[in-house]
Amino acid sequence: MEAPGPAGGPDRRRRSPWVREEALVLAQDQGGPDWFRLLLRAPRIAPLAWPGQFLQVAVRPVATGLPGPAGAPDLAGSDPLLPRPLSICTLDPEGGSLSVVYRVAGRGTALLASARPGERLALLGPLGLSFPDPGGAASRPLHLVGGGLGIPPLACAAAWARAGGRRPQALLGARGAAGLAGAAEVAACGAPVQAVTEDGSAGVRGLVTDVLRERLAPGDEVWSCGPPAMLAAVQRLCAAQGAEAWLCVERAMACGFGVCLGCAVARSDGGGFLRACVDGPVFRAGDVDVAEPRR
Amino acid sequence: MRIMDGPPGARTGAAPLLAVDVAGIRCANPVWAASGCAGYGRELAAAWPLSALGALCVKGTSLEPWRGNPGPRVAETACGMLNAIGLQNPGVDHLLTRDLPWLVRQGTAVVVNIVGRTIEEYAAVARRLGDAPAGAVAGVELNISCPNVREGGLQFGADLGAAAEVTAAVREATSLPLLVKLSPNVTDVAAFAAAVERAGADGVSLINTLLGMRIDVAARRPILANLTGGLSGPACKPVALRMVWEVAGSVSIPVVGIGGIATGLDAAEFLLAGASAVQVGTAIFRDPWAPVRVRDELEAWLRAQGMASAREAVGAGRP
Repeated sequence: MEAPGPAGGPDRRRRSPWVREEALVLAQDQGGPDWFRLLLRAPRIAPLAWPGQFLQVAVRPVATGLPGPAGAPDLAGSDPLLPRPLSICTLDPEGGSLSVVYRVAGRGTALLASARPGERLALLGPLGLSFPDPGGAASRPLHLVGGGLGIPPLACAAAWARAGGRRPQALLGARGAAGLAGAAEVAACGAPVQAVTEDGSAGVRGLVTDVLRERLAPGDEVWSCGPPAMLAAVQRLCAAQGAEAWLCVERAMACGFGVCLGCAVARSDGGGFLRACVDGPVFRAGDVDVAEPRR
Repeated sequence: MRIMDGPPGARTGAAPLLAVDVAGIRCANPVWAASGCAGYGRELAAAWPLSALGALCVKGTSLEPWRGNPGPRVAETACGMLNAIGLQNPGVDHLLTRDLPWLVRQGTAVVVNIVGRTIEEYAAVARRLGDAPAGAVAGVELNISCPNVREGGLQFGADLGAAAEVTAAVREATSLPLLVKLSPNVTDVAAFAAAVERAGADGVSLINTLLGMRIDVAARRPILANLTGGLSGPACKPVALRMVWEVAGSVSIPVVGIGGIATGLDAAEFLLAGASAVQVGTAIFRDPWAPVRVRDELEAWLRAQGMASAREAVGAGRP
């Protein structure tokens, strides 16, 4: 289903009905010093999903065969309290599987990293709005610009763009080579990757926006995901060059489906806040102020 | 004309075992969705029929739209979370014209949580609810306990005289059943319950969130942009239960229990302490189906206890 279009032209983002599913862990491996890849069999959710959407992932496996009366306190459930919102990295709708790539940032994600093949993790999804449908303008350049843990959703995005006849080019940045989380998946999904690292340990030394500035032409399209400062730089560059940009943001979040209002993203017109979970996480660059306010 | 004849559950086959009347709010069951945890119902209605709820307390609603606080607005804590949303809401006109007409068709009792910066604003919102069709709004929940706004909220909820004054003003402005949602951030919550009872409240609901904070040690700054926020979730449950116990023992109006309820047995504890109904809040964030599960588990517990009605459980844990 197409999302309602805001001012500024057609909105090609997609929304899905969300469901819950106890997904089977097929594989998990450590991809870098602090990040992991998790492959899940999710035959209900995978066929509903579009690139750019995310999942709420419970960090503890579903308990099976626990004794106790119905209605007893859900011991696995409230500690940690909340699931973790993770973007879909690779997506196989026909095969009913998908993967997520995430950084171990605290106790919850450390627990998630201990999930083993054969265990089941409760998912809610697919949540939020996707990247815009890539079909239509095969010759129009599409730049996928990712930073750090913002790289993974660009993998299925690259595959979707290829399937739509586009020839996406990826610019993927991190402090160093070890931080290029999901870059291999982006390349495997059919987008030529130019790595850019601040320390020069992989690809070009510098920032992704340095390289994007050289490549970008008026009328190009950019899909970007990464830290707020990077997204803000992509936003400025695209506005200056007359390129169309779609930004996938990350926010601290509680529910993921629109009721808690925790994941506020400031509207660029000063008219209050949007929700990253249902009004995004992919936004038209002109609609939002992506920088988190200074504390 | 009333929109619904009898409890909504009567039409969906829910057992009369669960039906309750709380301060004049007739409910198919005693499990409600808490304000701020269910929006205006549309998101949850995508997952299950809202008629499964005893009542839905809508997001805190003000006279004019409120922007809310900048982010970050939420932070997880041990078995709980902090929020500092700041009562972002589209205002009472939006509720009356856009959300309420849809909500009344969902077959659940609609309780409107109202907020204001001044006594006059609170009263004006309550008065505007009189423009709704008869029966569309089942009750008003007066929110004097939000810890995340500078004006309104705790300014009224932590001062006995102000709590009574705003309750009396809203009582004057509406004939709908009036609940007052109390703050736990006071020394003697029972004194506040008694004060609002004297000022005309038909019932009280408690607890709102406990004022708390977290600090990001790497950034050496508070995590929430608002610096402090309200603690909710299972971590709060023992405090909430104790406060419900104290209030139920000291007022003669109905009490609605709130605070960390995630299972049917949690709900049963609150009923036994003296609550006539409960609200499920933060549990919705980790499981959108939580209110339905709590209702079903509570029903199973009542049957296992051999009780003929949920009303039998209310206060049954008191010596």
